[in-house]
Amino acid sequence: MSLVPLYLRAAVGAVGPRASTLPDTRLEREVDVDRGHLADYARTCGFAVGDVLPPTYPHVLAFGLHVQLMAGRDFPLALPGLVHVANTITAHRPVDAGERLHVAVHAERFVGHAKGAQVDLVAEVHVGGERVWDGRSTYLARGARAPEPAPAPRVAPAEVPGGPAAAVWRVAGDTGRRYAAVSGDVNPIHLHPLTARAFGFPRAIAHGMWTAARALAALQGRLPDAVAFDVAFGRPLLLPSTVELRTRAVDGGWALDVRSRTGTHLTATVG
Amino acid sequence: MTRSARRAAVVGGNRIPFARAHGAYAQATNLDMLTATLDGLAARFGLAGERIGEVAGGAVLKHARDRDLTRETVLGSRLSPSTPAYDVQQACGTGLQTMVAVANKIALGQLESGIAAGVDTASDAPVALNDDLRRVLMRLNGARSLPDRLRALAGIRPGQLVPEVPRNAEPRTGLSMGEHAALTALEWSVTREAQDELAAASHRNLAAAYDRGFFDDLVTPYLGLTRDENLRPDTSAEKLARLKPVFGRGEGATMTAGNSTPLTDGASAVLLGSDEWAAERRLPVLAHVVDAETAAVDFVHAGEGLLTAPVHAVPRLLQRNGLTLADFDFYEIHEAFASTVLATLAAWEDPAFAKERLGLDAPLGPIDRSRLNVVGSSLATGHPFAATGGRIVATLAKLLHERGSGRGLVSICAAGGQGVVAILEAA
Repeated sequence: MSLVPLYLRAAVGAVGPRASTLPDTRLEREVDVDRGHLADYARTCGFAVGDVLPPTYPHVLAFGLHVQLMAGRDFPLALPGLVHVANTITAHRPVDAGERLHVAVHAERFVGHAKGAQVDLVAEVHVGGERVWDGRSTYLARGARAPEPAPAPRVAPAEVPGGPAAAVWRVAGDTGRRYAAVSGDVNPIHLHPLTARAFGFPRAIAHGMWTAARALAALQGRLPDAVAFDVAFGRPLLLPSTVELRTRAVDGGWALDVRSRTGTHLTATVG
Repeated sequence: MTRSARRAAVVGGNRIPFARAHGAYAQATNLDMLTATLDGLAARFGLAGERIGEVAGGAVLKHARDRDLTRETVLGSRLSPSTPAYDVQQACGTGLQTMVAVANKIALGQLESGIAAGVDTASDAPVALNDDLRRVLMRLNGARSLPDRLRALAGIRPGQLVPEVPRNAEPRTGLSMGEHAALTALEWSVTREAQDELAAASHRNLAAAYDRGFFDDLVTPYLGLTRDENLRPDTSAEKLARLKPVFGRGEGATMTAGNSTPLTDGASAVLLGSDEWAAERRLPVLAHVVDAETAAVDFVHAGEGLLTAPVHAVPRLLQRNGLTLADFDFYEIHEAFASTVLATLAAWEDPAFAKERLGLDAPLGPIDRSRLNVVGSSLATGHPFAATGGRIVATLAKLLHERGSGRGLVSICAAGGQGVVAILEAA
């Protein structure tokens, strides 16, 4: 499914009256995993090509529904300009590519934020009635206002203390285009320096979910079957870049961060 | 000879179903397939997070980026990252040679456990820069000054942009493996009918083994495949007889796509250990590794067949162990081509060959054909070069375990005129 028309509609509709509260909309789809697509995703993010879905993969299956929901006129925030600030994923068990997935998405927690308003897009994946995967993506609209005040700020995963990097990645200039092709997230800030500049970035920036997936892939073989992955996004990762991954084992799981000379791009815990 | 060393135990094995080239595994790399195979082995025998003595693995078609492929695989697998690993390469003998390496170290007491593995892909084969272009680029890389760089760049020619695709040919003879095998088939007058019958039996036996669940604890599904993609349960010698020959020329051409192995993708692994190691973990011992032998022949200048080295390796192995060719309950002879198996058997039965080429007073004699490749072999499963050894060892160990006693012979021919053979005994 191409999300380009939805982005265009959202861009055109960005100006004008909007709803002030969240819609009750719940969007759903049945998905049979396309193994070719799964292999492309795995290759782009650094996972081995196999039968178990990478814990971050269902996010791209739900992402089209996220956009569809946020592009609607009844959604209180304008899609262009929304910033992905945090993401949590819980994979309750390994999900096999041969399983038929039921993906459902809704929005909740439209609340204030120190810099504007934030909203959570919540995705649930069921297999034959069994809940196998949860995702919660938090988006910030700078300068926007929400009906409810800001809650107590969420405790973001901490940075891994200094010391040498576990890995140094040379992130190529086309990373945004490559991840856009497998995720459907064709937000222009990721695609090209020129389109990114139009939105105030000096160069194209990597998708946060690519960086998160790439970091998770670095722990392949070291994760339990059921995974909780909690990510806070920091400074945009400008493309191309050389960045460092730091990992540290903490009570049965891992703390990790991705940083470069320009700052910390993400901090996360996984276990 | 003295046999004071302990014998390595075959605990079990795991492989992914083998896929035809550009089939179900078209998007998978050697690293992907070997990772899935080791993770499957770890799941089957409770090895997640365990430090194994070592993993010896390898691939025949290997990218330059796959330096130390096996170690890289271990690092991304469920095994403990403190498990050492190294690569072995001996064409189609790779998979069995890794088992020999691991089993010997266990026998010597240097290891308590080890994994022998192999993987190959014909779908994701390395395509190299044209060699002339590569030389220009190396010169450019070494150039210190701008004029030197320009001089190096001036060496680029349009024809160099054509990449080099790996060919299934012997570097010294320019003949493909099939063409070499066709020469041997002709030399031993192997008939088309005999080849097609052997191929049909391989498919029939493999299908029956799958149907009775024989592979349930030897194979882990991968990328949607649950059985070998090449398996044709309903094929027959009559159907195979309709295919046109692809190797050899004219009247004497007998080798077809049906009685030759196709290019295949896949991976296999075998878990080995000392009896004590297995007992501590309550793991089964299916069989013991008795002995192994590797032979090589001068197929370039001495008129030997490219794939006939096992013909020489087996008599040496038998002699060292005081055995005859009849002393086996199972014969696992790798079916590179149906004609290879048949020519090997013919050579062992030939008095003149025994005397003149093997230096024996009498030929090894015939084998009981009902004990040959009883659950199918490479003609039906396909043959991802380095993965075949592991497939056969795990299969034979399980056959011996089912039988409860007895002895099995493994024979694998390899490009470069080499051959690896081994003896397993029921535990």
